[in-house]
Amino acid sequence: MSFTIANTIDDVLTALAAGARPIAGGTDLVVGARQGKAPLPADLVALDRVDELRTIGPEPGGGIRIGAGVTHATLVHDATVVGAATSIADASALVGSPATRHVGTLGGNVMNGSPAMDTGAPLMVLDAAAELRSLRGTRRLTMTELWTGPGSTAAEPDELCTALVLPAESDRSGSAYVRLEYRRAMEIAVVGAAAAVTLADDGTIARLAVALAAVAPTIVAVDVSAMIGHRVDDNVLAAVALAASDTATPIDDLRASADYRRHTVGVMARRAVDAAVRRAGGEPIGVPVNRSIGIGVAS
Amino acid sequence: MTSTIDATTGDTPRFVRADGPDKVTGSGRYTADLTLTGMLHAAFRYSDHSHARIVRLDTAPARDMPGVFAVLTQADVPDVHYGPSVADRTLFANDVVRYEGDVVAAVAAVTPELAAEAAAAIVVEYEPLPIVTDVEAALDPDSPLVHAGWADYRSGDVRDRNSASYSSITKGDVDAAMANADEIVRSRYVADASHGAPIEPRAVVAEWEGDHVTIWTSTQVPYDARAGVCETLQLPTNRVRIIVPHLGGGFGGKCGFHFEAHVAALARVAKRPVRLKFSRAEEFLVPDRRREGMVIELESGVMRDGTIVARRGRAILDNGAYTADAGFFPQVAAMHIAGPYAIDHVAVEAHIVYTNKQPSGSIRAPTAPQACWAAESHTDEIADRLGIDPVELRRINAVDEGRVGPSGQTYGEIGLRRCIDIAPGLVGYGDELPDDEAIGVAIGWWPSFSVPSGAIVKLDDDGYGQIVTGAQECGTGAVMTLRQLAADELGIEPERLRMVYQDTSVAPFDLGATGSQTLFNNGRAVVAAAAQVAEQLRQLAADRLEAAPDDIVLAEGAAHVAGTPDRSIAIDELARIASGGELLIGHGSGTPPAAPELSGSSCIGDNGMAAWVAPQFSCHAVRIRLDRDTGVVRVLHVGAAHDSGTIINQIGALGQVEGGVMMGIGQALTEGTRYDDEGRQRNAGLLEYKLQTCADAPPITTEFVQIATAGAGPRGAKGLAEAPNVATAAAVANAIAHLVGRPVRHLPMTAERVWTAMHRTAEQEAAS
Amino acid sequence: MSESFQLRVNDVEYPLSVDQGRNLLGVIRTEIGLTGTKEGCDDCECGACMVLIDGQPVNSCSYLAVQAQGREITTVEGLAEGDELDRLQRNLLEVGGVQCGFCTPGMLMSATALLAEHDDPSDDEIRIGLSGNLCRCTGYARIIEAVRRTADGA
Repeated sequence: MSFTIANTIDDVLTALAAGARPIAGGTDLVVGARQGKAPLPADLVALDRVDELRTIGPEPGGGIRIGAGVTHATLVHDATVVGAATSIADASALVGSPATRHVGTLGGNVMNGSPAMDTGAPLMVLDAAAELRSLRGTRRLTMTELWTGPGSTAAEPDELCTALVLPAESDRSGSAYVRLEYRRAMEIAVVGAAAAVTLADDGTIARLAVALAAVAPTIVAVDVSAMIGHRVDDNVLAAVALAASDTATPIDDLRASADYRRHTVGVMARRAVDAAVRRAGGEPIGVPVNRSIGIGVAS
Repeated sequence: MTSTIDATTGDTPRFVRADGPDKVTGSGRYTADLTLTGMLHAAFRYSDHSHARIVRLDTAPARDMPGVFAVLTQADVPDVHYGPSVADRTLFANDVVRYEGDVVAAVAAVTPELAAEAAAAIVVEYEPLPIVTDVEAALDPDSPLVHAGWADYRSGDVRDRNSASYSSITKGDVDAAMANADEIVRSRYVADASHGAPIEPRAVVAEWEGDHVTIWTSTQVPYDARAGVCETLQLPTNRVRIIVPHLGGGFGGKCGFHFEAHVAALARVAKRPVRLKFSRAEEFLVPDRRREGMVIELESGVMRDGTIVARRGRAILDNGAYTADAGFFPQVAAMHIAGPYAIDHVAVEAHIVYTNKQPSGSIRAPTAPQACWAAESHTDEIADRLGIDPVELRRINAVDEGRVGPSGQTYGEIGLRRCIDIAPGLVGYGDELPDDEAIGVAIGWWPSFSVPSGAIVKLDDDGYGQIVTGAQECGTGAVMTLRQLAADELGIEPERLRMVYQDTSVAPFDLGATGSQTLFNNGRAVVAAAAQVAEQLRQLAADRLEAAPDDIVLAEGAAHVAGTPDRSIAIDELARIASGGELLIGHGSGTPPAAPELSGSSCIGDNGMAAWVAPQFSCHAVRIRLDRDTGVVRVLHVGAAHDSGTIINQIGALGQVEGGVMMGIGQALTEGTRYDDEGRQRNAGLLEYKLQTCADAPPITTEFVQIATAGAGPRGAKGLAEAPNVATAAAVANAIAHLVGRPVRHLPMTAERVWTAMHRTAEQEAAS
Repeated sequence: MSESFQLRVNDVEYPLSVDQGRNLLGVIRTEIGLTGTKEGCDDCECGACMVLIDGQPVNSCSYLAVQAQGREITTVEGLAEGDELDRLQRNLLEVGGVQCGFCTPGMLMSATALLAEHDDPSDDEIRIGLSGNLCRCTGYARIIEAVRRTADGA
């Protein structure tokens, strides 16, 4: 058994190559071990002091590079993320509680592979790639390639997710993440939806992506190609809702029935597209959308 | 510090609770914080089935593990059936297990991990028995029995097979009144079980010295816990001492006798102190205290002018596997489905029925939130049918001074009408609202419990003293408020009195933090005890000031002659003088107020819960917003008007109302226990059993209608801690029904249930 | 296997030798002996175990003790200066924000972090800032009021 506090990515990769498991905030690992889901791995390497993992900056050649060790608390307020990847900030603002947001990281959320993760749908609609590094080299996977099932990813045991890389965003773009929650904090998404949109000069949809959380074994994309070239109106939003509900393959569980999930994920998709379009048009909608518009506002 | 409140100005004095500094600095110890040298750790082996016969039980694998000091089953403890209502339980499951949290065996070992491992190593083999989960099916004569030997149990309740207790209240001629009514309104409602969910999971530490045992435990009722230990381990009262360190909330969940005897028995065998500490999951699954699920059917005969002339009602309560203290619940539930209305013709009845689920027991205002939710939803259905404003309908029918309630009780001066006049306006009732907002209103009631209690008050030679009381502080501040009462009698500052409490070997009996009774009964005892000391002080002062004792006034730290403040002597000086002669000691109990007479009614299964001493009344009004696309409801503002008699500690009282309202919002929207087909809880954790968070907390505006009530507690105070929990869920329900167009007939009214109700067709509604 | 390391809690260094799987909560309560930090659940859902690590709120139940080495840990016992309560503690008492007291230590830690980040939080920022701490007694109203008063300089 060993516990390594790494200071560089190379420290981490060496430990992983020797069989250690990475631990960022530790929330999922420690709680999981206490609940008997999986024993705590014998060898651990702590990521929280690796500065290289905790930076947000421009990606050479355009785009944004978000270190996998950036916490949700940072993502909520980071000007780059809020400006150009707003849906990620929307999602991070809803994760758990202030404490979970201070400890939990984007990489931790992504590599957990939960279909209910909040940041997953935003990353998918933003066309993010996950950068995986090992002593053997570096590769990038799309989110669809990365998530292979509930709680599982395509990463090898010796690979570390070092960053999430977002392509450059066009002008007149916006994104948003909305989720269904039964209380205003300490929730896991019952269903969630993210949308990213780019508007053409004439105000029609030039690009649109929609992805859904907690309605399939992984985060799932919705085919909204039929909306391209249209102006966003109630008909388009209704079509988005319908497409989202049709894409969903939800289950019945404690949190909701499959029918209710199928309906509400459509509602969330519609609201996400609406908020993304308004943001693309320059309307400032605060982070997170859940608390800025709609039911989440405290009187 | 003043101890009375000017209700007209709402002036709130600063009140810093005596246990406060301990609690904000972290120095205060709760039971799980205690560690004794050589202490072992306890773990329970729970039932692996909801209903099964134990065919083999082998503890050897656990006993053989190094570091295991004791392993106990029912064979190792006295063969005693216990239970406050029905003696249907033994310390360990004996022969048959009846719910998933039934304790089959207990282990004490050197670490918690080893104890858990040893408990898991015990071999138990079962023969499954048919599982009973549905309360209505359980009443079927052909239903399997949860207790095959039910008829042999010791009990005073009216019982039959799976029905563990039955009560009815009848008055007038319901059939005739229904036949003559202009309209008949019928409703059916189903409430899920829920939990008190105190933030502190329970803990017990036991240590023997010779043949005496000291038990530190997180109980709301130390004397009841002591009685349970004595009964089940066959010990005389004087050998058991219960001490409660700070108690991290209870809400009824820590009432009753729980695991003190198991831990004491382990400690005796192990010859070591033993500590039991529950996980959150155990706190959900195991204790015999959950808020019972309920099925309620109501029928009212009403006249076009709004008069409710007849009420028929039936409630079936889910008892779970054992009866705990729930034997009196049917009568309380019957009172609540009748409601605080002057209805002439009443026939209400309730059963509490065994199932193979966690036992039910007193959770804050037991039966009331669910029954009030149903009855007050029904009231709004009546208003809707008659086209009468729901607030006006309540004014027309509410009990009031001189009117006769459903059980035949005639009321003195009460504040219910004033509560109805006040609460709706606190949240803007009648104002124009956005079309996704609505206000719901409901009224509730709850008795004050009149029981014996005792206290000792003494002053030492420095003019400071102690209140020695059996009262138990579970957070409400009721015990903290006792200082004010005693200090006012003695003319000193409350800070001069220290509380000595929560130790059964030190203080006189008190019922504990249950039934909202602390201030009502122990307040009476403390005032009586302090009055004796005050009399001593007046006598001493009279001798020195050459006046009659009756002319001596105790105020502001001195004794003076009435009308001549200059003729005075400091109480410190009197205390110094007394220390050389007759010491300043008072004791008190006082006479509990008598229950009122009932007239014109009859009750089967009467256990005294139809005649209410100093009843408390409330009206809650709730403004909500509904997300029509999802059914998600947010509570935006709550107005609460309460008649709990005189309010002695305003800040503490406001805290009780606010906490009760918030719990009620949780019950209304998110708090419900889900079961699988075998009666196992599916959401025994705080992620899936959703308490309201601070982010959900709406503003709560409270007003007290203060009527100094004769025959009540000190200064005309009634109880308060449970009453605020009664009407909130009902008010939320009525607001939802305004927006949905029909009631949501299943509690909690989760987003999905609201959404489903919105999309229900008229035919589905008629069939429901 | 035991790891030997030091933890700095409330400005005091504690040498420790504990299993690497132990959570920070257990080590603070047992080895270090500060029981003000409470255990209310097993899964990060109640906030009773909240401590500050480098000033940020952390659920100590789901944080490995060994991972906290080299950090500044603050528990409820570290808030008061000697016998003098800090303003937040005093305000919480005076407005009636303490009932059973079991959520209080965690609530104080979250509120301390909130006030360090926002010197003038809105009511909704307070609500969100304390949303990881469940309180069953108060309905939160008086706790929100205490934070408000503290932010206002009382």
